[in-house]
Amino acid sequence: MIEVSFMSYILLAIILFSIGIVGVISRKNIFIIYMSLELMLNSINLILVSLSRYFGSMDGQIIAMMVMAIAAAEAVVFLSLIVSLYRLKHSINIDDYNSLKQKGIL
Amino acid sequence: MDIIFLVLALLALFGATSTIMFSNTVHSALGFVVTVLALAGLYALLNATFLFMVQIIVYAGAIIALLLFVIMFLNIQQSHAPKEPNKYLLMLVSAIAIVPFDYLLFKAFYSMSFAGDANITTKDFGNIKMLGNELFKNWILPFEAISLLLLVALIGAVVLARKKERA
Repeated sequence: MIEVSFMSYILLAIILFSIGIVGVISRKNIFIIYMSLELMLNSINLILVSLSRYFGSMDGQIIAMMVMAIAAAEAVVFLSLIVSLYRLKHSINIDDYNSLKQKGIL
Repeated sequence: MDIIFLVLALLALFGATSTIMFSNTVHSALGFVVTVLALAGLYALLNATFLFMVQIIVYAGAIIALLLFVIMFLNIQQSHAPKEPNKYLLMLVSAIAIVPFDYLLFKAFYSMSFAGDANITTKDFGNIKMLGNELFKNWILPFEAISLLLLVALIGAVVLARKKERA
Protein backbone atom coordinates (compact mmCIF):
# COMPACT_ATOMS: atom_id res chain seq x y z
CA MET A 1 0.00 0.00 0.00
CA ILE A 2 1.30 3.40 -0.92
CA GLU A 3 1.67 5.71 2.03
CA VAL A 4 -0.34 8.88 1.46
CA SER A 5 1.50 11.76 3.01
CA PHE A 6 0.85 15.43 2.54
CA MET A 7 3.35 15.54 -0.29
CA SER A 8 0.89 13.50 -2.35
CA TYR A 9 -1.71 16.24 -2.10
CA ILE A 10 0.90 18.87 -2.96
CA LEU A 11 2.14 16.80 -5.90
CA LEU A 12 -1.41 16.34 -7.23
CA ALA A 13 -2.02 20.09 -6.93
CA ILE A 14 1.23 20.90 -8.76
CA ILE A 15 0.32 18.51 -11.59
CA LEU A 16 -3.19 19.99 -11.89
CA PHE A 17 -1.72 23.51 -11.96
CA SER A 18 0.66 22.53 -14.77
CA ILE A 19 -2.20 20.97 -16.74
CA GLY A 20 -4.01 24.30 -16.39
CA ILE A 21 -0.97 26.23 -17.66
CA VAL A 22 -0.60 23.82 -20.59
CA GLY A 23 -4.26 24.33 -21.46
CA VAL A 24 -3.93 28.11 -21.38
CA ILE A 25 -0.84 28.04 -23.60
CA SER A 26 -1.89 25.46 -26.18
CA ARG A 27 -5.61 25.96 -26.83
CA LYS A 28 -7.41 28.62 -28.85
CA ASN A 29 -10.97 28.01 -27.70
CA ILE A 30 -11.81 30.77 -25.19
CA PHE A 31 -14.03 28.48 -23.10
CA ILE A 32 -11.27 25.91 -22.67
CA ILE A 33 -8.85 28.67 -21.65
CA TYR A 34 -11.40 29.77 -19.05
CA MET A 35 -11.73 26.24 -17.72
CA SER A 36 -7.94 25.93 -17.49
CA LEU A 37 -7.84 29.13 -15.42
CA GLU A 38 -10.46 27.67 -13.09
CA LEU A 39 -8.40 24.49 -12.87
CA MET A 40 -5.40 26.50 -11.67
CA LEU A 41 -7.54 28.22 -9.01
CA ASN A 42 -8.83 24.82 -7.88
CA SER A 43 -5.34 23.38 -7.54
CA ILE A 44 -4.28 26.34 -5.40
CA ASN A 45 -7.33 25.67 -3.23
CA LEU A 46 -6.23 22.07 -2.81
CA ILE A 47 -2.81 23.22 -1.57
CA LEU A 48 -4.45 25.68 0.85
CA VAL A 49 -6.84 23.09 2.28
CA SER A 50 -4.19 20.41 2.71
CA LEU A 51 -1.80 22.82 4.44
CA SER A 52 -4.66 23.96 6.66
CA ARG A 53 -5.23 20.33 7.69
CA TYR A 54 -1.54 19.76 8.22
CA PHE A 55 -0.97 22.73 10.47
CA GLY A 56 -4.32 22.39 12.23
CA SER A 57 -5.34 25.97 11.55
CA MET A 58 -8.54 27.19 9.92
CA ASP A 59 -6.89 30.08 8.04
CA GLY A 60 -6.14 28.05 4.93
CA GLN A 61 -9.74 26.94 4.56
CA ILE A 62 -10.95 30.53 4.92
CA ILE A 63 -8.56 31.74 2.24
CA ALA A 64 -9.73 28.85 0.05
CA MET A 65 -13.33 29.96 0.53
CA MET A 66 -12.39 33.51 -0.47
CA VAL A 67 -10.63 32.18 -3.57
CA MET A 68 -13.88 30.40 -4.44
CA ALA A 69 -15.84 33.65 -4.04
CA ILE A 70 -13.37 35.48 -6.25
CA ALA A 71 -13.59 32.65 -8.79
CA ALA A 72 -17.37 33.02 -8.86
CA ALA A 73 -17.11 36.79 -9.41
CA GLU A 74 -14.47 36.19 -12.09
CA ALA A 75 -16.70 33.61 -13.79
CA VAL A 76 -19.56 36.07 -14.08
CA VAL A 77 -17.45 38.87 -15.54
CA PHE A 78 -15.49 36.55 -17.86
CA LEU A 79 -18.60 34.90 -19.28
CA SER A 80 -20.39 38.20 -19.85
CA LEU A 81 -17.28 39.47 -21.63
CA ILE A 82 -17.35 36.35 -23.80
CA VAL A 83 -21.02 36.98 -24.62
CA SER A 84 -20.40 40.57 -25.70
CA LEU A 85 -17.26 39.58 -27.64
CA TYR A 86 -19.17 36.82 -29.42
CA ARG A 87 -21.84 39.34 -30.44
CA LEU A 88 -19.11 41.51 -31.91
CA LYS A 89 -16.92 38.91 -33.65
CA HIS A 90 -19.11 35.77 -34.02
CA SER A 91 -16.14 33.63 -33.03
CA ILE A 92 -14.71 31.91 -29.97
CA ASN A 93 -11.20 31.79 -31.41
CA ILE A 94 -8.85 33.98 -29.37
CA ASP A 95 -6.91 34.87 -32.52
CA ASP A 96 -9.92 36.88 -33.66
CA TYR A 97 -9.95 39.04 -30.54
CA ASN A 98 -7.26 41.43 -31.75
CA SER A 99 -9.02 44.79 -31.67
CA LEU A 100 -6.39 46.31 -29.38
CA LYS A 101 -3.46 45.01 -31.39
CA GLN A 102 -1.27 47.64 -33.01
CA LYS A 103 -0.91 47.14 -36.73
CA GLY A 104 2.63 46.73 -37.95
CA ILE A 105 3.97 44.95 -34.88
CA LEU A 106 4.26 41.21 -35.50
CA MET B 1 -8.05 6.13 3.15
CA ASP B 2 -5.18 5.59 0.73
CA ILE B 3 -7.25 3.84 -1.89
CA ILE B 4 -9.85 6.62 -1.78
CA PHE B 5 -7.12 9.20 -2.28
CA LEU B 6 -5.71 7.29 -5.25
CA VAL B 7 -9.10 6.92 -6.92
CA LEU B 8 -9.96 10.60 -6.41
CA ALA B 9 -6.54 11.76 -7.60
CA LEU B 10 -6.78 9.63 -10.74
CA LEU B 11 -10.28 10.96 -11.41
CA ALA B 12 -9.06 14.55 -10.98
CA LEU B 13 -6.14 14.00 -13.36
CA PHE B 14 -8.37 12.23 -15.89
CA GLY B 15 -10.90 15.08 -15.81
CA ALA B 16 -8.20 17.75 -16.11
CA THR B 17 -6.50 16.11 -19.10
CA SER B 18 -9.83 15.54 -20.81
CA THR B 19 -10.67 19.21 -20.23
CA ILE B 20 -7.70 20.41 -22.20
CA MET B 21 -7.70 17.57 -24.77
CA PHE B 22 -11.25 17.48 -26.15
CA SER B 23 -12.05 19.66 -29.14
CA ASN B 24 -15.77 19.73 -28.34
CA THR B 25 -16.40 22.48 -25.77
CA VAL B 26 -19.28 20.74 -23.99
CA HIS B 27 -17.23 17.56 -23.55
CA SER B 28 -14.44 19.64 -22.00
CA ALA B 29 -16.90 21.20 -19.58
CA LEU B 30 -18.13 17.75 -18.55
CA GLY B 31 -14.52 16.68 -17.99
CA PHE B 32 -14.08 19.71 -15.78
CA VAL B 33 -17.10 18.64 -13.71
CA VAL B 34 -15.30 15.35 -12.97
CA THR B 35 -12.24 17.25 -11.74
CA VAL B 36 -14.30 19.56 -9.54
CA LEU B 37 -16.21 16.69 -7.93
CA ALA B 38 -13.00 14.72 -7.34
CA LEU B 39 -11.47 17.77 -5.67
CA ALA B 40 -14.57 18.06 -3.50
CA GLY B 41 -13.96 14.47 -2.40
CA LEU B 42 -10.35 15.33 -1.57
CA TYR B 43 -11.57 18.24 0.59
CA ALA B 44 -13.81 15.83 2.46
CA LEU B 45 -10.79 13.56 2.94
CA LEU B 46 -8.92 16.52 4.45
CA ASN B 47 -11.65 17.20 7.06
CA ALA B 48 -12.90 20.31 5.25
CA THR B 49 -16.56 19.33 5.35
CA PHE B 50 -17.93 22.81 4.76
CA LEU B 51 -15.60 23.43 1.82
CA PHE B 52 -16.68 20.07 0.39
CA MET B 53 -20.23 21.39 0.30
CA VAL B 54 -19.22 24.82 -1.01
CA GLN B 55 -17.15 23.24 -3.76
CA ILE B 56 -20.08 21.16 -4.97
CA ILE B 57 -22.64 23.98 -4.70
CA VAL B 58 -20.52 26.85 -6.02
CA TYR B 59 -18.37 25.10 -8.62
CA ALA B 60 -20.42 22.19 -9.91
CA GLY B 61 -23.71 23.90 -9.20
CA ALA B 62 -23.13 27.51 -10.16
CA ILE B 63 -19.98 28.12 -12.17
CA ILE B 64 -20.17 25.10 -14.49
CA ALA B 65 -23.93 25.46 -14.86
CA LEU B 66 -23.34 29.10 -15.88
CA LEU B 67 -20.60 28.02 -18.29
CA LEU B 68 -22.79 25.37 -19.93
CA PHE B 69 -25.64 27.87 -20.06
CA VAL B 70 -23.45 30.38 -21.92
CA ILE B 71 -22.18 27.70 -24.32
CA MET B 72 -25.74 26.69 -25.15
CA PHE B 73 -26.97 30.32 -25.19
CA LEU B 74 -24.40 31.22 -27.82
CA ASN B 75 -25.24 27.98 -29.65
CA ILE B 76 -21.62 26.94 -30.15
CA GLN B 77 -21.53 24.13 -32.70
CA GLN B 78 -18.61 21.86 -33.40
CA SER B 79 -18.05 23.83 -36.63
CA HIS B 80 -17.60 27.06 -34.65
CA ALA B 81 -14.71 25.61 -32.69
CA PRO B 82 -11.39 27.08 -33.81
CA LYS B 83 -9.12 24.98 -35.97
CA GLU B 84 -6.11 23.92 -33.96
CA PRO B 85 -3.84 21.96 -36.29
CA ASN B 86 -0.77 21.81 -34.02
CA LYS B 87 -2.56 21.54 -30.68
CA TYR B 88 -0.69 18.44 -29.49
CA LEU B 89 2.70 19.81 -30.48
CA LEU B 90 2.02 22.99 -28.48
CA MET B 91 0.88 20.88 -25.53
CA LEU B 92 4.06 18.83 -25.65
CA VAL B 93 6.29 21.91 -25.89
CA SER B 94 4.53 23.74 -23.07
CA ALA B 95 4.51 20.63 -20.90
CA ILE B 96 8.27 20.35 -21.32
CA ALA B 97 8.71 24.07 -20.69
CA ILE B 98 6.72 23.87 -17.45
CA VAL B 99 8.89 21.11 -15.92
CA PRO B 100 11.56 23.39 -14.33
CA PHE B 101 8.83 25.46 -12.66
CA ASP B 102 7.24 22.28 -11.31
CA TYR B 103 10.59 21.11 -10.03
CA LEU B 104 11.11 24.44 -8.24
CA LEU B 105 7.65 24.23 -6.62
CA PHE B 106 8.21 20.63 -5.59
CA LYS B 107 11.60 21.43 -4.05
CA ALA B 108 10.10 24.38 -2.18
CA PHE B 109 7.35 22.28 -0.67
CA TYR B 110 9.68 19.33 -0.10
CA SER B 111 12.03 21.49 1.94
CA MET B 112 9.12 22.23 4.30
CA SER B 113 9.53 18.52 5.20
CA PHE B 114 6.07 17.29 6.05
CA ALA B 115 7.42 14.55 8.26
CA GLY B 116 5.05 12.27 10.10
CA ASP B 117 1.40 12.87 10.70
CA ALA B 118 -0.54 16.09 10.70
CA ASN B 119 -1.33 18.06 13.80
CA ILE B 120 -4.06 16.51 15.88
CA THR B 121 -7.23 18.51 15.51
CA THR B 122 -10.50 18.51 17.33
CA LYS B 123 -13.50 16.65 16.01
CA ASP B 124 -15.25 19.76 14.72
CA PHE B 125 -12.25 20.94 12.66
CA GLY B 126 -13.48 22.29 9.33
CA ASN B 127 -17.18 22.23 10.03
CA ILE B 128 -19.39 25.23 9.61
CA LYS B 129 -19.34 26.33 13.26
CA MET B 130 -15.56 26.55 13.52
CA LEU B 131 -15.25 28.18 10.10
CA GLY B 132 -17.93 30.73 10.92
CA ASN B 133 -16.30 31.58 14.26
CA GLU B 134 -12.95 32.14 12.58
CA LEU B 135 -14.51 34.04 9.69
CA PHE B 136 -16.49 36.49 11.78
CA LYS B 137 -13.85 36.99 14.47
CA ASN B 138 -10.59 37.39 12.58
CA TRP B 139 -11.54 37.72 8.91
CA ILE B 140 -14.46 40.13 9.05
CA LEU B 141 -12.85 42.86 6.90
CA PRO B 142 -11.88 40.55 4.00
CA PHE B 143 -15.35 39.03 4.23
CA GLU B 144 -16.99 42.42 3.75
CA ALA B 145 -14.56 43.25 0.94
CA ILE B 146 -15.57 40.00 -0.81
CA SER B 147 -19.23 40.93 -0.53
CA LEU B 148 -18.48 44.31 -2.12
CA LEU B 149 -16.53 42.53 -4.88
CA LEU B 150 -19.49 40.26 -5.62
CA LEU B 151 -21.77 43.29 -5.90
CA VAL B 152 -19.36 44.95 -8.33
CA ALA B 153 -19.15 41.74 -10.38
CA LEU B 154 -22.95 41.54 -10.51
CA ILE B 155 -23.31 45.10 -11.80
CA GLY B 156 -20.38 44.66 -14.18
CA ALA B 157 -21.87 41.50 -15.70
CA VAL B 158 -25.21 43.20 -16.29
CA VAL B 159 -23.55 46.23 -17.89
CA LEU B 160 -21.17 44.19 -20.07
CA ALA B 161 -23.57 41.60 -21.43
CA ARG B 162 -26.63 43.71 -22.23
CA LYS B 163 -27.48 44.61 -25.79
CA LYS B 164 -26.27 48.03 -26.86
CA GLU B 165 -29.16 50.19 -28.01
CA ARG B 166 -28.68 51.80 -31.35
CA ALA B 167 -29.70 55.37 -30.64
